[in-house]
Amino acid sequence: MPIRVNPKLVNEIERYGAEDVSKCYHCGNCSAVCPHSTQPFVFPRAPMRLLQMGFESKLQNSLEPWLCYYCGQCSEQCPRDAEPGETMMSLRRWLISRYDFTGLSRLFYRSWKAELGALLIMAVLTGVGFLLWGFTHGDIRSYDGPNAFLASSAVHIFDWTMAVVLTLFLTANCVRMWWFTVAGRKDISVPLLSYLRGVYLIPLHFFTQKRYAECGHKTSWAVHMVLMASYVTMFVLIMFFLHAVQAGPEINWNVHIFGYLATAGLIGACIVMLRARVKKDHVWSERSHASDWMFLVLLLYVSVTGILQHILHRSGLGMAANITYVCHMMGVVPMLLIEVPFSKWAHMAYRPLAMFFADLTAEALLAKEKKPSGLSSPQLAEIG
Amino acid sequence: MEEVRIGVYVCNCGTNIAKVVDCDAICASLSKMPNVAVARTYKYMCSTPGQEMIVEDIRKNNLNRVVVAACSPRMHERTFRKALQTAGINPYFFEMANIREQCSWVHENEETATAKAEALTRAAILRVAHHEPLENLYADMCPSTLVLGGGIAGLSAALELAESGHPVFLVEKTDRLGGNLARVDLTAPHLYSARDLLTDRIARVRANPYVQLMLESELKSLSGFVGNFTAIVGAAKKNGDPHKEHVLEVGSVVVCTGYKEFDAGRVTHFGYGKLPNVVTSFEFEKMLREGNIRTKEGRIPEYFAIVHCVGSRSRDFHGYCSRVCCMTALKYAHEIKSAIPNSYVSDLYIDMHAFGKGHEDFYRGSSEAKTLFLMYGKNEHPVIKRAQPGEESEMLIEVNEQLSGETIEIPADMVILMVGMEARSESGDVARLVNISQDKDGWYIESHPKLDPVATTTEGIFIAGTCAAPKDIPDTVAQARAAAARILGRIAKQKIEIDAVFAEVDEDLCSGCRVCNSLCPYSAVEFDEEKKRSRVNSALCKACGACVAACPSCAIKARHFTDRQIFAQIEGVLR
Ligand SMILES: Cc1cc2nc3c(=O)[nH]c(=O)nc-3n(C[C@H](O)[C@H](O)[C@H](O)COP(=O)(O)OP(=O)(O)OC[C@H]3O[C@@H](n4cnc5c(N)ncnc54)[C@H](O)[C@@H]3O)c2cc1C
Ligand code: SF4
Ligand code: SF4
Ligand code: SF4
Ligand code: SF4
Repeated sequence: MPIRVNPKLVNEIERYGAEDVSKCYHCGNCSAVCPHSTQPFVFPRAPMRLLQMGFESKLQNSLEPWLCYYCGQCSEQCPRDAEPGETMMSLRRWLISRYDFTGLSRLFYRSWKAELGALLIMAVLTGVGFLLWGFTHGDIRSYDGPNAFLASSAVHIFDWTMAVVLTLFLTANCVRMWWFTVAGRKDISVPLLSYLRGVYLIPLHFFTQKRYAECGHKTSWAVHMVLMASYVTMFVLIMFFLHAVQAGPEINWNVHIFGYLATAGLIGACIVMLRARVKKDHVWSERSHASDWMFLVLLLYVSVTGILQHILHRSGLGMAANITYVCHMMGVVPMLLIEVPFSKWAHMAYRPLAMFFADLTAEALLAKEKKPSGLSSPQLAEIG
Repeated sequence: MEEVRIGVYVCNCGTNIAKVVDCDAICASLSKMPNVAVARTYKYMCSTPGQEMIVEDIRKNNLNRVVVAACSPRMHERTFRKALQTAGINPYFFEMANIREQCSWVHENEETATAKAEALTRAAILRVAHHEPLENLYADMCPSTLVLGGGIAGLSAALELAESGHPVFLVEKTDRLGGNLARVDLTAPHLYSARDLLTDRIARVRANPYVQLMLESELKSLSGFVGNFTAIVGAAKKNGDPHKEHVLEVGSVVVCTGYKEFDAGRVTHFGYGKLPNVVTSFEFEKMLREGNIRTKEGRIPEYFAIVHCVGSRSRDFHGYCSRVCCMTALKYAHEIKSAIPNSYVSDLYIDMHAFGKGHEDFYRGSSEAKTLFLMYGKNEHPVIKRAQPGEESEMLIEVNEQLSGETIEIPADMVILMVGMEARSESGDVARLVNISQDKDGWYIESHPKLDPVATTTEGIFIAGTCAAPKDIPDTVAQARAAAARILGRIAKQKIEIDAVFAEVDEDLCSGCRVCNSLCPYSAVEFDEEKKRSRVNSALCKACGACVAACPSCAIKARHFTDRQIFAQIEGVLR
């Protein structure tokens, strides 16, 4: 059955950032130069082609965009300035919106106003909620103790509720991703054993980002690692040690040292990344989608308010600390509820998953080739 | 008869000859031959000192014949003939032995190569003794020119000549000027209007008193030779007035008869003629000119597809590339997007030929405007069929797309077939009338494809524009004006120099058998009905020798290739 060409898809993807796909004339320089392009995942030319021709379902089922770390070498080499690196970035945004079953992701990526609006509404609701709760249960002048404005035990329950909701959304989307890219594919079948054998790849890639390091841009990888490690540390502290973190006013070095390091890491990494986007001094920082800005600014805001309320608390300024804390939560809640499942932060989950799926796919394709049935080599390899 | 005194010069050609052939040994042995007055070797005979050596020897030693054993006469025969002329003796008292291309370059064994070089040089020495003094002939150059075809090529050639003050007869078969370009809207890649390009030139041609415009006319016959042709031009249509024939005296002819479009109906899988909205490029040009792009049903199409190479670059039709259709296709993509901004254009090509100035930028621009380029295989082809009712488009094109490796289906409401160019069906008749040749595709053949692209093997007949091969407007105009420049050069000289080497019929020996008449490839042999004898027109004869060999009465003699000269040469080789 011939596949129907859909020339309208190019216009759609433009909303996600890729503006230059049409310029590509398929010389293949980009795929040749890409450090991550290896059989059976040869890119970025092939995905560019699928995009130009509007093969939506093939694109939706592809893992290639997740194997790219936007080192930018392809864009530098492209004779037509078709920006293959940026196209891969845009495809990742598009894929996030495809995996998301609620459709919110699509809405946010296509309109920065909608995303910003959602963040603001979420912030206002959080602010109002916390203030109402605080005033009914405590005293705005005391940060901890029995009269605390926002008791850490209550916040703890709130955090965990939010985490469960988030996990549900994210898991549903990850399952969709798995269905699109592996389970739903008719040409390969992955045995259960392979899943078990390879599952270690998820934490491996999550914690090491080792493919990123292969790009040759060690600094970008390091900054990315610092951001990630800091974020995970903070997450663990808040989810499991919230009480110890909030207790005071003396500093508990055994706990707080991790918080300080994580905060320094988050603020530092955010500033480096924002600076690069402002200065546009690398191929990968030349073009920024609205979602990139919102994400970094929000993370910086959350980190700064977080450490600020901590300092105010330790300085005995209970009321100022409480107000800052509410402001902090007005950033944290929208960040977690909007950015993680529906926007840029979702890549935290999809990327390591993609490495795992890619490994499974490659193995399955190889097994298929080895079978005596003599099936032809995989389509993806052909169209590299 | 004065004593024959021969100077023999053996060239080393640096080491080109000397490294295989022992030049000094040859020189020493040949210097002993009778009539050889001087024999020398030199590093480079063609250099100025080399030539001066010959001139001085002629003067000092009273030489009256010269032999140079060196490279091919195609290379330097002229150079050495000039030297003889400078020294004051007839340039035809010269003979060249080719001991480079035909000896040192093709042999390795020094002994045998030296023997061969000596034999060739000896042959030249024996031959040159029988050379006769010959003089070039001159004929008058008639300053009028006949231009066949009133397309952009014909118009450009005619204007160039007429604006220099020389009479031009511009013969156009149809009732209007402009040719195929008059059917085009904007021109790729600069998007100038074809109408503007033409109207200016047509107005200038019509206003110029030196141009005699002959519409609805064609050439009936052409006789004579360069500088002195007689053309008969009559009404083009069969039912035209046969008495309205004009006899024209012209010095040169420029053939600018152009091309015709490939008939898309010959390709069945495109459904041309069956599917109403499959149109050819020329039909689409008409829509563009009228500013009305609509389907047969009157709707504005949303999906366009352009198919390249229809009739060109294919095993079944023409193997060649028609050169202009790729850029014309991009021009359509451009014009469609500006006329219907919300439309989608798919462009199906085999290769994108963006060879000319500004073409690559035009191609890039088309990509930026989101034309979807799709590549199909050379000997495969897209198949166009009607879509089911309720589909997004009226037709679907199925093709094996090369850049994705997928069999795809492209929606289309209108399909434009980029029909190629082909030689006009009557191009053979014109070729016969003016005595020029055609290649296997019917295009006229130039004298030399690189160095002499507008001249033909018949002196005084030039070709310009698309009658010689598919080409775009800039190339067409460049050729037309180049042909005019060649003609103006001759007109400025006022005389035509005719080479002294040609065949002559001895009337006393000729029996009037006419064997030679039809044999001459250049139609140089005429038959004098009164005298019942054949006669060679020296201006047309290229001295090929066909008639000489064929004449049963041995009545034809080729000047500079007499029996005595040839036999002497053979003797020299064999001795
Ligand atoms: C669809 C299409 C679009 C094109 N668009 C472009 C473009 O955008 N840019 C570009 O550079 N080029 C374009 N071209 C190419 C362009 O048409 C040619 O380069 C140009 O027209 C060639 O001119 P010509 O004078 O050689 O031939 P023609 O235009 O064919 O003119 C030949 C003339 O000779 C006459 N004739 C023929 N036989 C005789 C005879 N025996 N006696 C007397 N008269 C005779 C004919 O009637 C005609 O008037 C296009 C071509 C096509 C097919
Ligand atoms: S994106 Fe650029 S480098 Fe890659 S195939 Fe296209 S034109 Fe070539
Ligand atoms: S940005 Fe780097 S990793 Fe991504 S496709 Fe281009 S070369 Fe490959
Ligand atoms: S110019 Fe282009 S469309 Fe025309 S024959 Fe050549 S390759 Fe084909
Ligand atoms: S020598 Fe050749 S060209 Fe000359 S008249 Fe004879 S056949 Fe014709």
